[in-house]
Amino acid sequence: MGPLPRTLELFYDVLSPYSWLAFEVLCRYKNIWNVSLQLRPTLIAGIMKDSGNQPPALLPRKALYVNDVRLLGQYLQVPIHLPKDFFFVIFEKGSLTAMRFLTIVKLEHPELLEKVSRELWMRVWSRDEDITEPQSILAAAEKAGMSTGRARELLERVSTPQVKNQLKETTDAACKYGAFGLPVTVAHLDDETYMLFGSDRMELLAHLLGEKWMGPVPPAATARL
Amino acid sequence: MGPLPRTLELFYDVLSPYSWLAFEVLCRYKNIWNVSLQLRPTLIAGIMKDSGNQPPALLPRKALYVNDVRLLGQYLQVPIHLPKDFFFVIFEKGSLTAMRFLTIVKLEHPELLEKVSRELWMRVWSRAAEKAGMSTGRARELLERVSTPQVKNQLKETTDAACKYGAFGLPVTVAHLDDETYMLFGSDRMELLAHLLGEKWMGPVPPAATARL
Repeated sequence: MGPLPRTLELFYDVLSPYSWLAFEVLCRYKNIWNVSLQLRPTLIAGIMKDSGNQPPALLPRKALYVNDVRLLGQYLQVPIHLPKDFFFVIFEKGSLTAMRFLTIVKLEHPELLEKVSRELWMRVWSRDEDITEPQSILAAAEKAGMSTGRARELLERVSTPQVKNQLKETTDAACKYGAFGLPVTVAHLDDETYMLFGSDRMELLAHLLGEKWMGPVPPAATARL
Repeated sequence: MGPLPRTLELFYDVLSPYSWLAFEVLCRYKNIWNVSLQLRPTLIAGIMKDSGNQPPALLPRKALYVNDVRLLGQYLQVPIHLPKDFFFVIFEKGSLTAMRFLTIVKLEHPELLEKVSRELWMRVWSRAAEKAGMSTGRARELLERVSTPQVKNQLKETTDAACKYGAFGLPVTVAHLDDETYMLFGSDRMELLAHLLGEKWMGPVPPAATARL
């Protein structure tokens, strides 16, 4: 048996389009590199509050820089389209229920976490659809392969202490690693742990792992035994 | 003769280590890709003032993220070492004279701009200092003129140009393609730039450039 896979933790929030970019690239490489990808649903609003940072969109000139995420979406082959009312989606609607739902999905059906996360991103960052109403979240869960009944059960529990605390713990863990935003990728190597911020540190990550970078859309993964 | 080279403008300040990373990668690729690299000395303090942004180091948790620039320095093979008193260097000393000096170098000796810029980055951000090849006498002459209106205005114009492109920080790379102009912020958009140019990305340290006729 070869060397043990290195753990990569990805702290993400579906409200963050750059988190989606990081997520897709890592999901592609998790079957190519010798890594174990741990998805960690996090609340970006909590990161901002704890670090004293503010969402870039609050600075006018950064808000105008939206073409960046669109260009990256094209290059990374992630179907990002900006919502019509970008500010309302980010600042008024937020992602609290969605991230609590992903938290309980991770607790109860970790094998569905990747798909449900993707469906939520597709709603808010591709099709400009809501992710705050119960029926929105149910729709995403169903599309990911969860039965309506089961999805409804989990949704009923999103405001229980267990789920609220778990989301808070994950958010605190990201903060302890030094996060001031999302996405954050934490790479656990033999001798060192690296915290990398942003979707644009993947080539560097490959270098730190001693793995090969084949661009953001690598050829289909060869199966690993 | 092949297609005309596309113009890339790099707005940079030697006070910005990420500007150094962008600069080195683009200097490597300028002899590989079909581009014309225009170096534009800019004042990052002016960008911050005009955009209302603030240097990341002012947020405590971003200030702690300094390992990022070190790791990138290693990977990009740029000898970045953090100055002992990082905050003093950035906020007290700044880069006004240095960037005015580069402005006049660009006006009077554009062929030396790359080397002098690199020499200044080496002084601020690396322990090694090399000579850029300018005679001491000539350097002194130019230095005497850094506070003339001509030089002050040129630096201001370049900084304003970056702001007009939408800059809220540095480095900013502006790529002029046939049908569109792209403004890219940061040292981490070079692979994307290659894609936009229809060129090949061979990592931050490409094999030595093949000579272009």
